[in-house]
Amino acid sequence: MFRLSAIGYWLFSSLLAAHSVLADEPPAVQVQHPWMRAVPAVMDSTAVYMTLVNTGIVPAKLVGGSTAIADSVAPMITTKEGEGLKQMVGMKSVDALEIPAHGTLVLEPNGNHLMVMGLKEHPKEGAQVDFTIKLEPGDHEIHLKVPVSKTPVK
Amino acid sequence: MSVETPKTAVAPAAPPKRPFFDWRVWTVAVVLLLAVGLSVVLGVKQRSQQGYFGMRMFPLKAAYDFKLNGPNSAEVRLDQFHGKAVLFLFGFTHCANICPTSLTNLAQVYQALTPEERQRVQVVFISVDPNRDTAQTLQEYVTSFDPAFIGLTGPKPAIDQTVLAYGGSYEMVAGTTNQPNDYSVNHSAYAYLINPSGMFELLYDNDKLADVQKMVTDIRAVLREPASASH
Repeated sequence: MFRLSAIGYWLFSSLLAAHSVLADEPPAVQVQHPWMRAVPAVMDSTAVYMTLVNTGIVPAKLVGGSTAIADSVAPMITTKEGEGLKQMVGMKSVDALEIPAHGTLVLEPNGNHLMVMGLKEHPKEGAQVDFTIKLEPGDHEIHLKVPVSKTPVK
Repeated sequence: MSVETPKTAVAPAAPPKRPFFDWRVWTVAVVLLLAVGLSVVLGVKQRSQQGYFGMRMFPLKAAYDFKLNGPNSAEVRLDQFHGKAVLFLFGFTHCANICPTSLTNLAQVYQALTPEERQRVQVVFISVDPNRDTAQTLQEYVTSFDPAFIGLTGPKPAIDQTVLAYGGSYEMVAGTTNQPNDYSVNHSAYAYLINPSGMFELLYDNDKLADVQKMVTDIRAVLREPASASH
């Protein structure tokens, strides 16, 4: 009987904790090693890469981003279809990329990325770009200074 | 060492005499010899395959001699690069992730070669999006990765024939808006290495291009090949 009530208390308190996180707390997500690919002026798009670490108990979602130097930012996945020589690689826009609870989302060359479309400026290698990412739940924003580079920034 | 022979034992029946040409003995010997021989041959062959980082074509065949348009729309044929190793890949300039990654990696590979080796290597980017990629934009695009790279495009049938000849494929995928120019291209993301004798020798999937040192080792091996080894 005592044991049951102990479990009940534990369940209740963890639900309460989860509720307070869901309701009030912004996603516990940290950004590591962000960078934007430096691209030539003939390109109208580029990509932003980073590692997102979720230290919280609630899954979070990367739903998009924005920057003054481009029209739009969208999460993309890399797709592979077919086998062998016929295999085609492509990309696909998605509504969100999940950052699991106590998990990591890696955006990297050839993989998941934030595509930056409609470039109005082409910042050179070494520049820094103000860049905002949007997370759910809670319509949460993280403001970043993203270095521009031709190769991965670690 | 001495062997004690029992004194009282009844003499055992004499074992059947084995003739020299006992077929069982010979069968075993021949099978063993074949197995050893085969494993040596296969081992050597495997070692030569393993000697490369890329997937080696077997048997080697003459690479399809594509005819496309390069800088200033001049005709460029693969055969023009006879005596050089040619590394080419398919892509399009509106590609924000895969193509720039591959070209950045290839630029690092190219720069890791000696100036003498670079004289004998040509990196080529073939656009599968002639609708949006002109010879001019293509050239600006590829030279931003390395000034020595060239970009090729051409009439769609010439591009299709080239893609087909190398076993590749591509398809246009409509974007989210209804704008005619809002589309992406899914495409084969391999790099094809043509050796100085004009044979299609090695194939790399795009992830492999990031391994600069192994790529350089492969290119050096291909440049060292005697011309006769490819025939």
